[in-house]
Amino acid sequence: MSIRAVWIITHEKGEHVSVRFSRRFPTVEYRAKSLAGSSYQAVPEDSAVLQLLLTELGLADPGKPYVAQRDDCLNQQRTPALELHVDSSAKGILWPVLVISRGPLILACLPLVEAGEPRPPLSSLLSVSQGLTLLEGLQSFLGGSEIKTDGDGLAPRLALMPSVLQQVCPLGTPLDVPQARAPSTAGVPAAAGSPRQPAWRTGQHRGRPAVNVALTETVRCMQYGDPSKQDLWDVYGTVTCKCDVEGVLPNVTVTLALPPNGSPLQDILAHPCVTSLDSSILNASSVDDGDGSAFSGPYKFPFCPPLEPFKLCSYTSQVPVPPILGSYQLKQQQEVNHLRVSVNLKLHESVKNTFEYCEARLPFFNRVQMSTVDVKVSSGHLDVNKEKNLLVWVLGQKFPKSREVTMEGGIRFSGQLPGPVDPLCTDLTAYIKLYFKVPDLTLSGCSVDQHSVQVYSCAKPKIVTCRALQSKEYFIWNSTGPAPVSSGQMIL
Amino acid sequence: MAVSWVERVASFLRSPSRFLASTTSEVFLVELLREQRDERVTYDVKLTMLSPLCEHPTLLCPSACTGEETCLELMSVFSHCPPKYTEFRCQLLLTLTTVLVSTGCVSAHSHASRDFLELLLKLAQDTYYDPADLPSAPRSTRAAACECLRELEACCPGLLSQHLELLNGLRQQENPRHHQALSGLYAVVLRNGVHLLARQAGAGPEGLKALLGGNAAVAWEAEPESPAQMDRVAPLPSVLGPSGLGPTLQTGPDCKELRSVLSSLLEESYLLTPLSQAALLHALTEVVAMVSGVSPAIFKAQLLRLLGTSKVCLFHCTLLMKAAFTDSLFSAEDEAFLLKRLVALCQHPQMSPAAQLFYTDCLVHFPENRPIGAADGGEALPVLFTRRLAACLVPTVFDEPATMLARLNVSALVHLEEHGAREEEGGGAAGGGLAYLWDHLLLRLLHVVEHGGDRAGVVTFFRASFLFLCHFGHVARYAADLRRRLCALYLRHSRLAPHVLNLADRAQDGAVRPGWAVALLRSLQGAAVSAGVDPGAVSQEDLRWHLRVLARVAEEGQIGQGGTVDFLFAVATSASPASRNEDWRLGSDLLAVCRHLLAHPGLDALLCPLADVLQHVARHHGDTDVRDHARLYYSLLTTLSREKLAGVLANGGGGANGGRQDNKRALSAMVVESQDLTSALTIHKARAPVFHLVAKDRAGGWAESTPAPEDDDEAAAAAGTDPGAAGADVLSSYRSQLLSSASAAEISLAYELRHLDAAGPAGFDRLFSLRLHFEPSAGRFAAPADVCVPRLFREGASAPPPAVTLTLRPRAPYPGTLRCSAVFTAQDELTWHAALPDVRVAFRQLFKPLPVPASWGPALRLRAFEGLWDEFCDGGDGEGGGRTDASPDRASSLFCGRLGEAELEALLEEHFAPFRVADPGDATGHRVLLFLPPRSHVLLRIRPQEDAVQFHVATDNWRLLPHVNDFLLSITDWEARNGVDS
Repeated sequence: MSIRAVWIITHEKGEHVSVRFSRRFPTVEYRAKSLAGSSYQAVPEDSAVLQLLLTELGLADPGKPYVAQRDDCLNQQRTPALELHVDSSAKGILWPVLVISRGPLILACLPLVEAGEPRPPLSSLLSVSQGLTLLEGLQSFLGGSEIKTDGDGLAPRLALMPSVLQQVCPLGTPLDVPQARAPSTAGVPAAAGSPRQPAWRTGQHRGRPAVNVALTETVRCMQYGDPSKQDLWDVYGTVTCKCDVEGVLPNVTVTLALPPNGSPLQDILAHPCVTSLDSSILNASSVDDGDGSAFSGPYKFPFCPPLEPFKLCSYTSQVPVPPILGSYQLKQQQEVNHLRVSVNLKLHESVKNTFEYCEARLPFFNRVQMSTVDVKVSSGHLDVNKEKNLLVWVLGQKFPKSREVTMEGGIRFSGQLPGPVDPLCTDLTAYIKLYFKVPDLTLSGCSVDQHSVQVYSCAKPKIVTCRALQSKEYFIWNSTGPAPVSSGQMIL
Repeated sequence: MAVSWVERVASFLRSPSRFLASTTSEVFLVELLREQRDERVTYDVKLTMLSPLCEHPTLLCPSACTGEETCLELMSVFSHCPPKYTEFRCQLLLTLTTVLVSTGCVSAHSHASRDFLELLLKLAQDTYYDPADLPSAPRSTRAAACECLRELEACCPGLLSQHLELLNGLRQQENPRHHQALSGLYAVVLRNGVHLLARQAGAGPEGLKALLGGNAAVAWEAEPESPAQMDRVAPLPSVLGPSGLGPTLQTGPDCKELRSVLSSLLEESYLLTPLSQAALLHALTEVVAMVSGVSPAIFKAQLLRLLGTSKVCLFHCTLLMKAAFTDSLFSAEDEAFLLKRLVALCQHPQMSPAAQLFYTDCLVHFPENRPIGAADGGEALPVLFTRRLAACLVPTVFDEPATMLARLNVSALVHLEEHGAREEEGGGAAGGGLAYLWDHLLLRLLHVVEHGGDRAGVVTFFRASFLFLCHFGHVARYAADLRRRLCALYLRHSRLAPHVLNLADRAQDGAVRPGWAVALLRSLQGAAVSAGVDPGAVSQEDLRWHLRVLARVAEEGQIGQGGTVDFLFAVATSASPASRNEDWRLGSDLLAVCRHLLAHPGLDALLCPLADVLQHVARHHGDTDVRDHARLYYSLLTTLSREKLAGVLANGGGGANGGRQDNKRALSAMVVESQDLTSALTIHKARAPVFHLVAKDRAGGWAESTPAPEDDDEAAAAAGTDPGAAGADVLSSYRSQLLSSASAAEISLAYELRHLDAAGPAGFDRLFSLRLHFEPSAGRFAAPADVCVPRLFREGASAPPPAVTLTLRPRAPYPGTLRCSAVFTAQDELTWHAALPDVRVAFRQLFKPLPVPASWGPALRLRAFEGLWDEFCDGGDGEGGGRTDASPDRASSLFCGRLGEAELEALLEEHFAPFRVADPGDATGHRVLLFLPPRSHVLLRIRPQEDAVQFHVATDNWRLLPHVNDFLLSITDWEARNGVDS
């Protein structure tokens, strides 16, 4: 349940690679040596580890089209754990090296294997899930996915790493993940003699009590406009809380409610601060056809809140229709570089027609720049990006009364410069991607009533709740071209 | 100063080996510890300076003894550090733990570890509430002390078993701050205690009771000699391994104490952070798994909370409990629920890609209540994993490569069963799932590759193809289709040849139905050959890929090579473009194919056309090297029988059976592959010395007495001196000829070159063309010339080991060492570089007789001796005035040794024979004249007294006296010892 070493590496698309931070835990190494016996492999110096990691991740020698060690089809990287071959012998292997790579940041650690030969399955090692949890914690501490290697954020955070690790992983056994923000200054320690305080709530809030509950639903969609291909969409929701309430062990209950006939919330995941869960809440699952008992709320989550904002719970939901139904038709005209575009978007009547933003993007890959865009839209306005390979149809805050918008016209491609390449989107394989956000709406109908939030504390807090629907990976594929399928439903 | 320390520490941590190359670990450690005591250094800097010890303790403290001393030093730093520097104090405790454990100091005999453990227990019990101990401040010293105790217990199990009651008391104290640290510590100590107890034969409920109630005051103090506590136990492996459960403790149903402790730990477990909670639950799972008297149902109350969690480590804990307790904690319904939950997590949009991958791995190792297959830890899907569940994990082209491959693997496992069932039913048609994987995954990925997908896309396609083949290689329809498509892909993008060949190699290595790889290679041959119908139309780059593919195809004995030879002929004779005929690389690629063809079993049929190709290349190619090789191959082909040819080429890495992985080289294979060529041209470094120099005669050996060459006489004559003439100044004539004699300043040492030990690393038994290089230390000698040795064989009994004569030109007459290295060719025909053990040149090895021409008789030598003696013993008193050439460093001394008459004779014979100066007029005394290059002299007058021998020493270099003294001491001592022994 311990880790032998941690590395933080930055790179820019495989170049300018460097180990920005590393930490070894010799006491864990001592245990590793004793437990592994003759199959023990010491951790080499950082530069060697870096080279091996890059090879395994396929980032080494970016200039060479084929490197046997890097590109061998036998290396099936199907688990989050890599094998680093320190030397050519069968024994000189570091395993399991866990790696999380996102943007310019690569985080890696080597968990302790508390068993000798033969190698146990990854799933039998608690240190692996602990290592993953720690790495994910470090990643969000370092700025999550938005981090830039030479940006303002990273260097100061990296400078904090020694003292952060001293707190969360003092001797190689991870105790906690670092908090992305400094703990609230309003927090004061609990006095001796008070009841047990959760380790994640390091103090008490002092000040005006307030509870914020935000419910965000995200909709993903693949529409093909093709009877042979099934359209797909899914919705998942997240409830985020910020609770400024007094007490060592305050008790708050948030209740999610569904409208009558609402389909049950599925795959519910709760934050560890939730003190108890009802089994009926967990029963509904997206992976089977449901057991028919159809529990549909209310979903109660009693918890003792940490001081910082946190994700109380998340769920998925199956909704009968997508919020915006679209059709996209791209036709090749006689002229080689001339395409006829026809788009129709229809807002479903159950969806509130008030957007924070709504736009449709039509990228054109594997073609030269657009020269003439002779396209008319029934609503909103059309922009062409600077590189002339993307149409942005800004629909603004509202669909027209008819709840339907269209785009018609022709586009000629005869520019000088080649546009972006996407090997998936050749010829007439093309898509529209929708970006929208609708405040005060959820597709599942799920809501948090302000009055249903119960806080057991002396002072009555101010309670604020809000909800919103946003899109992510909302694709409408051109129905006249072959589109890639992304679902197993058709197997059934 | 402070900045430089921070930088030095950073540079040490970046690469300890490079850092320590410029200093030594002892020096660095001393410096680090000194700075810790320096009051001018801030605690921030001191904190940074602990990190080298914290991360590389064994480099800085290589022995237990240094570790112990360092710990004592650091503990004294701790005692002097004001409490307000909490972060520094915590780091100091962590460092101390690290050093103690890593250097193996944790034992009752170590003062440092006794004191440290006492300190930690004191700190852990310290309930003093420090108002400065704000939550935002770093963790308190008390929590750090608990962590240190936990780590000590983990590394030395049972260390704290005697303190369970104390720790339990601390845990239940009403101070909320350190609940987590104390609970974690308690759980580990309990787990280790139970584990050790369970390993003892005959341990039962009493043992458990004693364990839980154990309350020694402070470790080691009560019973410092107690061996039981101090027996250092190796860290304990997890008892929840795949190889079944660990030891169990038979307690009967009566374990009230343990049950109550477990319940109280579990009840409060949700107050811990997820990571600590997971560790606690895991430790308790192990305890319950080992104690038969406690029912796993004790975890029941926690399960719902754990099943609903969003944290990977907590859910994983549940799976581990499932593996440990199976149906005693999870009913069949629970199992189905858990599986559904796991599948949902494998694709939950809120899970990170790494977590999804991990869950997918858990799925193929799902701990079933009643497993029916794959008990060997291999991958298998649980019985309850239905097609409906599988549909959720179907791979798509939108997935990240790792996720896609993991899901492809799962889907393949599902459809493999399904397909197998259908075949049994006699349907034979592939299922819809398989069709999906083919149409919507593999063909899509192929589409990406064909349309300019990047390197990652290409690699992913080939990995997916390999995985697909591993599972469905037996489904003829898809296997054949994939083969055709790969061929077509290769024809359009021949740069993908290495990937295609890699796939063929891997498929042939066994995972895929036999024959597929050969069929693929046959198709590739057809593709390449068809492209060569008009070689002029093929680009240079493509042509080279075709040749490489054909070289690989030619390794397959089952594939006919007629087409290949025709292709080669077309390429060799193609006139355009003209530059092609000059291209060495293209020529070598072509010859590589020929070379493989020479080893092909079907060579007889190819004889004439292949000879035509080789002859054409040998005559018309623009590159001399290529022509030469072609000529060699041509003569091999036309003169050797097929068997002999195969024998010659078998050494060279050809052969049909996996020769491609063989890295052997032969001279005739020089151009086979550029990679081999590079390897042959590189000097490889041997890790350890292979051979060493052994002095030819006893004890380091005398310098070979170099007889003064004839020309020295001439030189003497040329200098216009004839020492033979009476009255001539012997000394000045000696000195003048010394100046002109080159050989006088040299010593020759005789060595033998031998292997270091009887059985060293393989491949170094027969070495050739050894070139020894010497590097003198500290400028004692002029750099000697390299020495060449033609060969060195290990089976040296038959042949004498090669002799090495080392000629040294000392710059000063003192002993020294020579660093020695060698470059040589080993059996593998690679060039190697190896260091040899240092060669020490001892003082006695510098001795030479007086360097005078052979024409000098004994009388002249005696005169020279007397002259020198007088000169050296005249002393610096100035009375000997007029001599201008008297050395200012001259000195005389007296050494006495306890030796008998006979012993003295033996000593003189053994050590001074070549240097004695005979004096017919003095029967009792002996004279010895040692010349030490470049120009120093040591003169000895040895005179036996009653029971001792006096060595009167005179020299022109007083710095030699200590060496002379040591030398005399060693030989007389030796004699003395020898006397005692006999």
